[in-house]
Amino acid sequence: MIINIRKWPELIVSYSVMTFTVLVSIFPILWILLSSFKSNKEILNDPFSLPKKIDFQAYMDVFTQYNFLGYFMNSMFIAIASTLIALFIYTMAGYIFGKFNFRGKSFLFILCTITLLIPGYARAQPIFTIIMNLDLYDTKAALILVYASFGMALALFILRLSFIAIPKDLDESALIDGAGFWRIFWNVNMPLAKSGISTAGILMFLNNWNEYFYALILTTSEKNRTLPVALEFFNEAFSYNYTRMFAALMMVILPGIMIYVLVQEQVQQSVASSGVKG
Amino acid sequence: MKIKWLNVWIAAFLAPTVLVLALFYIVPIGTVLVTGFMEWDGLRAPEFNGVNNYIHLITYDNTFFIALRNILLWSLIAATLHVGFGTLVAFVLYKKHIGWRFVRGVFMVPMVISAAAWAIIYKLFFNDEIGILNHMIRSIGFSDFHVNWFFDSPASFFAITLTWLFYAVYVTLIVYNDLMAIPKEVHEAALLDGASEWGMIRHINLPLVKKAIGTGIILSVTARIAGFEEVALTSRGGPGNDTYNITLMLYDGIVNYNYGYANAAATIMILLGILVLLLINRVFKMNESTY
Repeated sequence: MIINIRKWPELIVSYSVMTFTVLVSIFPILWILLSSFKSNKEILNDPFSLPKKIDFQAYMDVFTQYNFLGYFMNSMFIAIASTLIALFIYTMAGYIFGKFNFRGKSFLFILCTITLLIPGYARAQPIFTIIMNLDLYDTKAALILVYASFGMALALFILRLSFIAIPKDLDESALIDGAGFWRIFWNVNMPLAKSGISTAGILMFLNNWNEYFYALILTTSEKNRTLPVALEFFNEAFSYNYTRMFAALMMVILPGIMIYVLVQEQVQQSVASSGVKG
Repeated sequence: MKIKWLNVWIAAFLAPTVLVLALFYIVPIGTVLVTGFMEWDGLRAPEFNGVNNYIHLITYDNTFFIALRNILLWSLIAATLHVGFGTLVAFVLYKKHIGWRFVRGVFMVPMVISAAAWAIIYKLFFNDEIGILNHMIRSIGFSDFHVNWFFDSPASFFAITLTWLFYAVYVTLIVYNDLMAIPKEVHEAALLDGASEWGMIRHINLPLVKKAIGTGIILSVTARIAGFEEVALTSRGGPGNDTYNITLMLYDGIVNYNYGYANAAATIMILLGILVLLLINRVFKMNESTY
């Protein structure tokens, strides 16, 4: 195969950009990963060398001695609970926005989605005071409640479109069969809106799992601490044990990466299946 | 009777969302805008004090102007270099050279990691003793190179910039999506007219993804205005007030029970966001249709 000589400059530029993109994206993570298997001495003296042996001692130490599991469970519980609550209430609202008409509908929808334009941190003080007044300061419920409120605009956007895409004939024939409002929603529409619901759920879960600012101002005790906040405490606790610091970092970022890898496959599958249909 | 039941269901289905909208959006935003003009420590009832919070914010020390300068500079860098890089990657991916899927997948990884973790990764990365960056610089011949990136001025500003500068995957995805939407006929017609590759990019593709670039600029500049982790967990605004920003002012206001002050900072943040939105909308003519 002869490659057109005039293509060479374009190929060189393209592959340089692609290589650079991959490098900036994974080099820092790769460095953290390799360093988490090295001793302090190796980290200080041979930063470029590969670890002499792969052992998970530092990971075990972080896991057993620093309540990592506790923070992990907090993060998991808060992220899952808030995502499920958010999905439930926004799916109901998205269904109404997608399939029914009522006075003031477009106004309400615009009001809900325009909130995306206000930076989330700008509402921090009033939300702090509301949580205080609800007597929820330093509880997991506080974070669950606040996180459930975050995904509103994005979830409604995605979910409304998924319900619009479901033909109305299905509702009508179900109605003729004697199905009530709830059954038409739950048994007819929900299964068909699955891909929209899971997309919204995945995005909200990742945001809630990674959230730092509100976890910092709304909780203080160790029993309600989430992983992103715990990281800073690890950073202080391990200030002279770099191996553990790197191991802790890996353990914090790994779940997010793993979920992303899973989701990526799902996205590719949905693209493939829609290709078959179309 | 039937119609009435339907209305009850509609109301019931919307009620939780409306409650969230009121409790976590409308009431807080209203509170922010109003109490920015009040003296409020969270214990005593808030009292109107006119524009005192704003005067205090601006004149207390020069922190506000440093924060504003930083935000403007960071926004400028985000709107040009950051969005430019994201757009460049989108155009390269659009060529679909072998490996493009892998590049797109990997580019997304820093975005799925907690911003707090990412900030700490970079704090270690730039560390003078253990950080790989200074080791690399020393190993290529500058053996006396020692910079404490997050603690020296002006290195701190650049180090913070580098924590987000290249991570523009959202811009890439938005622009890429619009590139894919360009009808084939447009390119075929241009080829028949003898357009060169570069001419095609400049006169066809770039104008057709203008709106996507505009959206990318709005998203990335807003992220800079509301930036927190990349500063709070690295330099913490230092050295001195060198890398202070508005979110840090807001945070300090809350933890020091100076709520009026915090909300004055929050109001400025909201106004800056709206300003950027209006400006980009106008410059990029986002309301006009592309085709």
